Amino acid sequence: MRGSLGIARQIWRELLATGPTMDDLISEFLTETSESLDVIDSELVRFENNPEDRAILDNIFRLLHTVKGTCGFLGLPRLEAVAHAGETLLGKFRDGELSVTPPMVTLVLESIDQIKVLLESLEATGSEPAGEDSALIKRLEDAALGRMSDAAPAPEAKSDPEPAAEDEAGFDQDLGRELRPGEVSLAELEAAFQSAQPDAEAEAEAIGVGDFDPELGRELRVGEVSAAELEAAFQSAEPDPGMAPPPVTAITSDMSTEEALQTAMSELRGDDTAPGADGAPRVQQTVRVGVDVLEALMTTVSELVLTRNQLMQTVRGLEDDDLKGPLQRLSAVTGELQDGVMKTRMQPIGDAWRKLPRIIRDVSTDLGKKIELVMEGQDTELDRQVLELIKDPLTHMVRNSADHGLEMPEDRVKAGKPEKGTVKLAAYHEGGHIIISIADDGKGLDTKRIGEKALEKGLTTHEELSRMNEAQIHRFIFAAGFSTAAKVTNLSGRGVGMDVVRTNIEQIGGVVDVSSTAGKGTHFSIKIPLTLAIVSALIIGCNEQRFAIPQLAVRELVRVGAGSEHSVETLNNARVMRLRDRLMPIVDLRECLGLSSERDVEEEAGFVVVIDAGGRNIGVVVDNVLDTEEIVVKPLSESLRGVQAYSGATILGDGSVIMILDPNGLAGEIISSMEDEASADAAAAAVNEMAETQRLLLVRAGGEEPKAVPLSLVTRLEEFDPETIEVTNGRDVVQYRGRLMPIVPMGAQIQCMEGQRQPVLVFAENHTSIGLAVDEIVDVVEERVDLQMGSDREGVIGSAIIKGKATDVVDIAWYLDQSRAADVQRRASSARRRILLVDADAFARRMIAPLLAAAGYDVMPAGGMHEVQAIAESEERFDALVGDPAALERIQSQGLWTDLPTIAVTDWPEDSGAEGLTAVLPRSDRSALIATLDQVSQGEAA
Amino acid sequence: MTTEDQNGLATEAISEYVSVRIGDQLFGAPVDAIREVFTPTSVTDVPLAPNEVAGLLNLRGRIVTAIDARTRLGLPPRSADETGMALGVERGSEIFGLIVDSVGEVLRRPSAELEPVPAHVDAVWRSMVKGVHRLETELLAVIDVSAVIGSAAGKEAA
Repeated sequence: MRGSLGIARQIWRELLATGPTMDDLISEFLTETSESLDVIDSELVRFENNPEDRAILDNIFRLLHTVKGTCGFLGLPRLEAVAHAGETLLGKFRDGELSVTPPMVTLVLESIDQIKVLLESLEATGSEPAGEDSALIKRLEDAALGRMSDAAPAPEAKSDPEPAAEDEAGFDQDLGRELRPGEVSLAELEAAFQSAQPDAEAEAEAIGVGDFDPELGRELRVGEVSAAELEAAFQSAEPDPGMAPPPVTAITSDMSTEEALQTAMSELRGDDTAPGADGAPRVQQTVRVGVDVLEALMTTVSELVLTRNQLMQTVRGLEDDDLKGPLQRLSAVTGELQDGVMKTRMQPIGDAWRKLPRIIRDVSTDLGKKIELVMEGQDTELDRQVLELIKDPLTHMVRNSADHGLEMPEDRVKAGKPEKGTVKLAAYHEGGHIIISIADDGKGLDTKRIGEKALEKGLTTHEELSRMNEAQIHRFIFAAGFSTAAKVTNLSGRGVGMDVVRTNIEQIGGVVDVSSTAGKGTHFSIKIPLTLAIVSALIIGCNEQRFAIPQLAVRELVRVGAGSEHSVETLNNARVMRLRDRLMPIVDLRECLGLSSERDVEEEAGFVVVIDAGGRNIGVVVDNVLDTEEIVVKPLSESLRGVQAYSGATILGDGSVIMILDPNGLAGEIISSMEDEASADAAAAAVNEMAETQRLLLVRAGGEEPKAVPLSLVTRLEEFDPETIEVTNGRDVVQYRGRLMPIVPMGAQIQCMEGQRQPVLVFAENHTSIGLAVDEIVDVVEERVDLQMGSDREGVIGSAIIKGKATDVVDIAWYLDQSRAADVQRRASSARRRILLVDADAFARRMIAPLLAAAGYDVMPAGGMHEVQAIAESEERFDALVGDPAALERIQSQGLWTDLPTIAVTDWPEDSGAEGLTAVLPRSDRSALIATLDQVSQGEAA
Repeated sequence: MTTEDQNGLATEAISEYVSVRIGDQLFGAPVDAIREVFTPTSVTDVPLAPNEVAGLLNLRGRIVTAIDARTRLGLPPRSADETGMALGVERGSEIFGLIVDSVGEVLRRPSAELEPVPAHVDAVWRSMVKGVHRLETELLAVIDVSAVIGSAAGKEAA
């Protein structure tokens, strides 16, 4: 109402001054109408639950009515017609002629949706889309008519001036009914004018009528909206129904229209100040201010604060009391000003929640669930920019909770819970942050399924997974690539899309976490900064310069070099650091920034800032860690935008400008090479002609010529003191991490050089580690490997040309089996058979592929269904499928290669249903796998 | 600096220039292109930045990208002890500081006297110099401030 009135006033002013600029009006209209519609949405849901509450219905009615009136004014007939039909139906509720039922409310909501669709198109194109909505309008009209208790004609069903005029006659008796039709017609307008006339403060003023003489059509539209406003005015302001109609004077219809409008305006204005009259919403004194104005104010105030700080610093040294007093006041006022300006950017979070009741209602109707949405802390304020950015993720999460989190009513009853599920949304302040929590009392997250999916997507390995606790597994839902939903706003998508939610939240410096208890419910909590403009940053020193790293990206700080247990090591000139049993890539900030690097990172003391860059931890070597500071992020100028290392600049408290490092940009190159490596890993196992570049570890063992081991297979490189290598049961073992690890020599025997440490390649699989002792680790190379198969020698898959030299490629699987003292039944195969290896777990692929290749099979690895499908499309032929049970079942369900034997390998063979699979084997039993394969593929051949 | 042509009666269009010195050459920057003139202090070096970016500095709470005019014009760098002066130029929402050697007085010249840049002048210069005024003792090269700042915004006349 306020919005529409605002528009009408503005229109009025525009008409008087320069004539209307429709574009401006429409954009204003769009803003205000979409706000109104959101309110209608949530009010309708409230109304459905409280059909007796007249105040809610009145409010809805009034809002829709003003939307309709404004549409009419702006010449938007489609919108007006839909709004009108919806309003008509509401009118019936209001008059008690119809009782409120969910289908009815749904119908009204549909009309609101249609209005939104039309508005979107209006926003996009500047005009209403072609087409018409007669079907919807017909249903609305039928609803309004069809269930009426008496058979009275419904005058408001058609936009016809006559019935409206009839209604006019009943005006004296029933003010409320008078408004119900919501008609916009000249007849009504005249009546309105007549009734308004006695109260008019002035005679016809000399207004610039001529301004809009030429366009009668537009003229009429002006009249229409004024009528709408008048209705509203009468509803609340007309105290005396028995007034005598004044004599009709010789005024043109144009004039009367304007006067009527003006009168209505003044009436309305008067009404605004009369509180509580008929529940009319009170008009707050607000001014719309452009965001850029506020931004400029922010900048100016920041500048003022800075100047004040400098001044304070200067005066502190002086003993001038005359200055101190005024300065103190200046300081206080500046602080207040700063607070005030910050406040202008604040909005209650409830604004972002307004759509939620409607969404919950839709979910509950669509799915037949009973859901209660509880909202707490709507008044919690946060920066409008943050609010805008948090809106879609929040909506998405609430929908998720209702959709995926809550069970069906019958399941809830079975589980001993109330039939009605609850989604609780709460917001509150906590130490400079806003905490938003979204909790449901549903079934909780399915840990097992998440784990499986994470494996399937290659996000983790069986080994890692088995070490994780529930909370860690739950967090996979935030992992990039976990879900397939493309956009966070895509509410219709069934995918979870939580990675997108996380990304959006992290973009604004927030954190999201989840905790879930099976059967009890799931609880998401989001922690976001109050404002975007200010972030917490770590100030580091590098080469006598200072830089800021956003605190959010910083995982930890590690001291390296002299006197520290951590040190930076190199692997073929690539720096790495061991951190909690992991090798972490290390970059030197000096080198990243192209600064002189004369120090020796391996030796010199310094700090490694472990940052999260695109989900991976990377260590950045810096000279010094200086401080943490709240900084105001300023964008870079266009000259610097191309430099990826920075995300912005900031002014520190002392007035100096420093650059803000962008973790992702900084690690950009490293990450891209890591991704190459990851894709190389996937291909490394493919011991076939499709060989891509692989990273190979070159070692010397039992001879001068180098041997190559795919680096992706190696878990760790270790060195042991020869004295720690013991012999038990005729085998070399070493105590490693509290266990005995067998050591197998890659050469003929372990050559213990006096005083030298024994280099060992450690392979970990299924909780056991195996060490492969070599004489020397030579190098790491990345090359395209064309492997020549058919080596007769044990422990060698074949030879390849690496760095221009013929190099044996080591058959790791053979050595691993050696260590288990297990014989792999190796058959010399005359005919090469092809195996499609499908396993979502990259580690599994890496382990199985060389094994199969060594047994004389050609292996085509595939990591996921996408790859499988691509392979299927290229009509490749295979002799057998090997892979994890889930993947194999999926392939079968898609009708691919149905005639082939399928051998599932899994860590949990007893858990896997064996339906339709030729065999299910434990992953650890290599011999069985080869034997089975040989058997089935022989069978095929026979 | 003499401005003989200026007699107060002239109805012809007058152009006003902030005279600046870059290397040995006198340049004129159109007055309306310049927001202010300031001394660049505590300029933060930006590693990896394009050559002409001298760094960032704080101009009353706003971050200014300092562009070195010498680099842009292909002149040798200033000696380390000379800070130079900066012309503040607003472009869009950003402020650039064009660092020159020194700033002189404002010169007024009839617009009609602006002569085109001779064709044999270096192409880099020609892309940044809009024309030449003949002063009594030397030539005043009128620079296109926006072009000197360079990059994406194109070379529209300042």
